[in-house]
Amino acid sequence: MGAITLTRYLASRIGQALLASFGVLTIVFFIMRLSGDPTLLLVPEGASLEQIAQLRHELGFDRPLGMQFLSYLGDLARFDFGESLVQRAPVLGIVAERVPYTVALAVGALVVALGLGIPAGIAMAVWRGGIVERALSGFVLAGQSLPTFWSGILLILLFGVSLRWLPTSGSDGFASLVMPSLALGIVAMSTFARMTRISVLDELSRDYVTAARARGLSRGGAVLRHVLRNAAIPVVTIAALEIGNLLAGAVIVETVFAWPGIGQLAIQSIQSRDFLVVQAIVLFVSLVYVFSSFLADLAYVVIDPRIRMGR
Amino acid sequence: MKPRMTIGMAIVLALLAAFAIAAIAAPLLAPFDPLRQSLLLRLKPPGSLLGGRSFLLGTDDLGRDLLSRVLFGARASLLVAVVAVVLSLVVGTTLGLLAGWLRGWVATVVMRLVDTMLSIPAILLAVLTVAVLGPGLLNLVVVLGLTRWPRYTRVAYAQTLQVAELPYIRAAEMAGCGTARVMWRHILPNIAGPLMVVATSEFGLMILFEAGLSFLGLGIQPPYPSWGSIMAGGRQYIERAWWLTVFPGACLFAVVFCINVAGDWLRDQVDPRAASR
Amino acid sequence: MRRVFAVLLALGLSGPAIAATKDSLVIDLPADVATMDPQIQWDTDSYSVYRNIFDNLLTRDTSGKIVPQVATAWRYTDDTTIVFDLRSDIVFHDGTKLTPADVVFSVQRITNPAFRSPQLSQFDQITSAEVSGPNQVTLHTKTPYPALLAQLVKLSIVPKAYVEKVGDIGFNQQVIGSGPFKLRSWQRGVQTVLDANEGYWRGKPPFRSVTFRAVPDTATRIADLRTGRADLTRGLTPDDAVAMKGEAGLTVANIATERVAYLFINALIGPTNDKRVRQAIAMAVDRDTLISALQLGFAKPVDVVLTPANFGYVSDVKAWPFDPEKARALLKQAGAEGISVNFLTSPVYDRRLNEAIQQMLGDVGIKMSITVVDQPTYLKRRLGTPEESSNMSQGRWSCACQDADGVIFPLFRSGSAWSKFSNPAFDAEVDAARATLDDGKRMGHYHRAFEILHDEVPGVGLFQDEALYLMKSELKWQPTANEAFFVYDMKWVP
Repeated sequence: MGAITLTRYLASRIGQALLASFGVLTIVFFIMRLSGDPTLLLVPEGASLEQIAQLRHELGFDRPLGMQFLSYLGDLARFDFGESLVQRAPVLGIVAERVPYTVALAVGALVVALGLGIPAGIAMAVWRGGIVERALSGFVLAGQSLPTFWSGILLILLFGVSLRWLPTSGSDGFASLVMPSLALGIVAMSTFARMTRISVLDELSRDYVTAARARGLSRGGAVLRHVLRNAAIPVVTIAALEIGNLLAGAVIVETVFAWPGIGQLAIQSIQSRDFLVVQAIVLFVSLVYVFSSFLADLAYVVIDPRIRMGR
Repeated sequence: MKPRMTIGMAIVLALLAAFAIAAIAAPLLAPFDPLRQSLLLRLKPPGSLLGGRSFLLGTDDLGRDLLSRVLFGARASLLVAVVAVVLSLVVGTTLGLLAGWLRGWVATVVMRLVDTMLSIPAILLAVLTVAVLGPGLLNLVVVLGLTRWPRYTRVAYAQTLQVAELPYIRAAEMAGCGTARVMWRHILPNIAGPLMVVATSEFGLMILFEAGLSFLGLGIQPPYPSWGSIMAGGRQYIERAWWLTVFPGACLFAVVFCINVAGDWLRDQVDPRAASR
Repeated sequence: MRRVFAVLLALGLSGPAIAATKDSLVIDLPADVATMDPQIQWDTDSYSVYRNIFDNLLTRDTSGKIVPQVATAWRYTDDTTIVFDLRSDIVFHDGTKLTPADVVFSVQRITNPAFRSPQLSQFDQITSAEVSGPNQVTLHTKTPYPALLAQLVKLSIVPKAYVEKVGDIGFNQQVIGSGPFKLRSWQRGVQTVLDANEGYWRGKPPFRSVTFRAVPDTATRIADLRTGRADLTRGLTPDDAVAMKGEAGLTVANIATERVAYLFINALIGPTNDKRVRQAIAMAVDRDTLISALQLGFAKPVDVVLTPANFGYVSDVKAWPFDPEKARALLKQAGAEGISVNFLTSPVYDRRLNEAIQQMLGDVGIKMSITVVDQPTYLKRRLGTPEESSNMSQGRWSCACQDADGVIFPLFRSGSAWSKFSNPAFDAEVDAARATLDDGKRMGHYHRAFEILHDEVPGVGLFQDEALYLMKSELKWQPTANEAFFVYDMKWVP
């Protein structure tokens, strides 16, 4: 592949990525506006219709939707994310303050999901059909069938209240990160375990593995030496797909553990119709998602040179 | 190839059938009206015998019979999961097939749409959409169907690209088979296995999704039960009335487990590549 | 990534200091402060925090009586003019003196429409404010306005010079007040830390510092109390309160508030536009069972849509008795047997109460369907057209002014956003009660207004809600009917 092709490929990927993010922003902008505006939540109980109408006018929500959208895009083009209606502070700062917490939780959850899911998946493939596979799939699926609002409070009662090993809530360092990461990670774990299992099974059935084993390599050796490398591709894809959900989809886990990530901020901002905050979050998540799926594509090429970028 | 039906598999399928029957025949099986409250009989433990009535699984925080609610809850939970999975499977697979077979601008448009949809966190999109459409079983299913299809599209697209390269597929096209026929008869069977895996893991996620929305107060409409809404309501009593979360939770686990095991088994049956092992 | 670790490291080093001597108090609230600027947001949790930083023009004592704070005395010179004498010994946290100019500035700032204060409607009866003496300000109102003093209890005094220097956004980031505590740090979404204002004019505050943490889930807040991570929290459910009563080292405190739980019944759309149907609904609801079974006794029944903590409460207008037989007969008489009504609600309101009412109405033959929407949608529909607002809903109303004017006027006066009821005689009574400063006359108007409400039933009073707090047994504090959260009034007694 020549340098020109690569440049053109990158340019088109970036263009498409921006288009996708723009699509996200448009969808969310209009859905949010359709769901009402925050005026009624801001006024005290008992405000009169005139007072409500006046505040709505001051906030600019009586303008036509198209105009609101255009003026928002205009601001955005100047990297002005606006001011939160509820908090009366710049949106960029409000969202940026939460990002480190969210990234910490996403990394923690990925560590749990990959650290438990991949070994479980490999074991399930290698000892296929046996008692090991059944037991492991029970364990893995249990993670996927527990609502986090329930598993979360169980963890708090066990490790926080009964055993006193971990803090029950908040964001005071590493100890606070353990329980939310577990609660979030075990849900994603099953996806990784099953994907790993299938890819390893696929690879195990290929000719080169049979050949390697014919040469006297043990099955475990074959798995470690050849299979994992190839089986990693779909797992990387799934990991990239999960990023978006781990970033802002951790709404319930962050609520239960009082973890100040952007998931909690997002749901609170939706509930208070703090439009600009929601839009900034969605834009952020969308860019991260598009970027990480782009990285996943690049990772393919690194892991498996057989794959062409043209796809 | 010969289907491998093991004893374990038979048990799993029997359990799934039992849940399906429980959901369909809930009105016949439930000992009491799942909506009938007795405020004086709140939070009674399993096996309570009160006023000549026996509450096998105990009662909830409004004094309703938990067994009856879990039976009726199966209806809502399974219905949401089945309809949402089928809807998104059909939409997602069709788009993925078309994109993979036709390629070009169709593929670009479809896959960018997929990126767009996937990059909005599902729970946020669901909360927003429920706010616009209003809650309720039907709207919930529509929301899930509209938001979950890209997962299938991605898999269908990637698989179709691979399968379309197989010599006999192009041969069939050359031989004059129509596009629809080639896709339906030759490509779909080849890509059904991986789609099955996605569908079965989505199945459990859909039940959980409804549970999460119930926790946020936006799931199925009260007073009708779903497993998720029973658990969300019972969560507050986790130490005083464990039965409110444990019984629906156990059902949830059993169904998710069986569906996934059955899905893997089914995949091995229909996937020509898996079968060749 | 490096930033993430830096944050985690920093947090690890600065965990909440729970010292043995109890220098610092930790309070768990359901939400973070929305704005630290007291003249913008008005939700319970922002209020709970920032009112510790500021002094108010007036305040209420534990019995609910309006008493001096920044103002020492006040008198009406005519029906629309009121003069306040102010203290001269108050200083802001930056050392500058609190002057009449600051009080005037605070009034003008919050009443300026361009400032877009969500609280404007509580103060917009004030037309002007001016300094009228060395330690004196004068306020003018549009018309005689009896609720003025009750509203001024919520007027925080902000420093004019500082606000003008740093601007509104800057002030919101780093507020300065004259109250018993000063802002040390505000980590949005996480916590707010306040330090004692050692030179506070009313005396030294009881704690060196206070931390308010944002913990949205009630179950988690309770776990925090049980493990000693927090000393006080609010927002318990009655079931939580009963469960925690036996917990060693913790105390449950409850206080009857000015918040009234009521059923709204839409009098403008069918089938509830028939008075007899509304009366039948009132007789179908068994308040006593609701209170004993769901509130577990943490509530007092009310006969009208108002609590005894509010001015204007009348005790001799009785509720419709619980009588399903009579309700059924009345429905039959109205030709309304087997009618269906729609009940609109949001996750904010107690799900169990809705479902219990659904069954009670079902028992007299009214089919009630519940629609749950999220809170903004609920408000949009409830304050929308009569059709949008559905037949019924549940409410928990507090005007934070402890006056009937803040309750039945917005709820039932025709033309107000919440009202789905139109009755000229009622309108005349509440309008008259608003236009006079004579308490005796006002009581008379409210008495007649409640008689009309009793007959017309555009709403059913259910109970006076109780606020439930969980705290360490060493913490001594008497909560108040207006759900205020003054740390200054708390004490630690080991």
